[in-house]
Amino acid sequence: MKKRLYLELENCIGCRSCLAACTQCGGHEERNRNYVYDVNPLVNRQTMPLMCLHCVNPACARSCPAQAIQIHETGAVLSALVEKCIGCQNCTIACPYGIPKFDTEQNLMYKCDLCIDRSKDGIPPMCASVCPTNTLQWLTDEEIEAKQKQFNLDNGKWVTSMPYLEGETNVKVNLPGILQGVTKLF
Amino acid sequence: MQANTSTTKKTESSVNDAFASHFAKSMFLSIVGLLILTFIGTRMFTHVDLNLYGYMVGTIVFIGGFFYRFIAWGERPPTKLFIKKGLKLLFRKSTPKTAVNHLAIFDFIRNRGVYRWVQHILIGWGCVLACLVTFPLVFSWMYFTMEDNGYYTIVLFGMNIMNVKADGIIAWLSYNALNIAAIMVTAGVCMALYRRLKNMQARAEQKFIYDFLPLYLLLFISITGLLLTVQNVFLHGWMQPQMSLIHQFSVIVTLIYLPFGKLAHIPFRPVSVFARNYREHYGEQHMKECKVCGDQFVSVEQSNDVIQVLGVNEIDFNMNDGFNLAELCLPCRRKYRIAKFSGFATHQVKVKEANQNANG
Repeated sequence: MKKRLYLELENCIGCRSCLAACTQCGGHEERNRNYVYDVNPLVNRQTMPLMCLHCVNPACARSCPAQAIQIHETGAVLSALVEKCIGCQNCTIACPYGIPKFDTEQNLMYKCDLCIDRSKDGIPPMCASVCPTNTLQWLTDEEIEAKQKQFNLDNGKWVTSMPYLEGETNVKVNLPGILQGVTKLF
Repeated sequence: MQANTSTTKKTESSVNDAFASHFAKSMFLSIVGLLILTFIGTRMFTHVDLNLYGYMVGTIVFIGGFFYRFIAWGERPPTKLFIKKGLKLLFRKSTPKTAVNHLAIFDFIRNRGVYRWVQHILIGWGCVLACLVTFPLVFSWMYFTMEDNGYYTIVLFGMNIMNVKADGIIAWLSYNALNIAAIMVTAGVCMALYRRLKNMQARAEQKFIYDFLPLYLLLFISITGLLLTVQNVFLHGWMQPQMSLIHQFSVIVTLIYLPFGKLAHIPFRPVSVFARNYREHYGEQHMKECKVCGDQFVSVEQSNDVIQVLGVNEIDFNMNDGFNLAELCLPCRRKYRIAKFSGFATHQVKVKEANQNANG
């Protein structure tokens, strides 16, 4: 059963468990590859995570001169292959979300690979498996559809990936509450 | 005058027209080059070592595979740009230093781990040494003659380079260069295999075909090569002809495989020197400032190149509110995305992004 990473951004409480979990994934060499941002840092405590959204047509891979960024059969856009990455940083400039990180010492780009060693076997990525508030979830397409029904406000305002992102992505994003000015019921 | 230029143009284009493709032209030129070098090296084909003709055929098949892969790779829009601009910037002052760093002592691998650096040095330099001995021997660019008893003459490209004592140190090193290379490669491959078996991170990601096969191939070559020496020295050449065929097979298979698997990073790696030159050169010229925070985050040249490359792929990031994402530095780009999600303009708040590293 193919599952996707699914983000309900407004649930985020800013605990940064996802960052800590990311460092512990095999192959991540104890460095996290995701971000948590304060939405309005001087006013309130709302935070949102920002992950690689694993574009269907990824700008990072398109701009890579070395073919170092490979796309896995699950749709995950993988981190740079260590032997191929030539350190040009095209990918960091190309990514519309500013996700890839670059290590100048190692001359190597690294980015979220959806913990491919886990997710290729259907195990949720580290971030989703530790998130205490269900901001990050690991769901099947049917479950995501059910979510859509649950939050269907009959006003065409199901806010997910497309109109707010730059292209089709494998990670689905949803924030039914904030943009629509409604409080979410659990 | 005009007629003259048009005829030169015609002849120019007709030279290229002689070839069906880029591939055919590269192939033709390299094989002609090899033939000429061999013609000179063998003193007009009088010293061809036909014992090694299998390697010769293998090398030519390898060149075919290499050009096929390399040309397909070089035709990708971003690769093409880097190769073109990299060649233009090849004669920068820093090029020798960067090249030594990236291609000879692998500083960036040392920063990934000393163990991996040692294994890479052993495998890499072992292979280079082996190639430097093997290919000149295969094409008879280098051979040995004995004019005086007890003294070998080393002949390189048809020129007598030096006379060495048959039991001297230089002669010993020449006879054993391939053994030394094999021992280096074997040690390096064993280190790499040990890491791949023990290291949990490596185990999580590796695949048999991609990560192990090249190591086993190198091991296969080294062990069969060393066995040849063992058979000669200790077994009076027992089964030596058979083993030499097996060794030849192992080398040819690896050569043919080389451009298509993990080992393809060897011929592609020089582009990392191009990339470094490109970033340094255009970084000194004109940096792009972030439209929101004003930080200089990338050279204008690289930004434009990436925009162009993405344009070829029909990707552009013009926003409804007049922004183009290429105008934002990376932290601002992330904040802008948060702003898109929340409806609040996070990127306009003049606060540095919070610590994004989980190490506190």
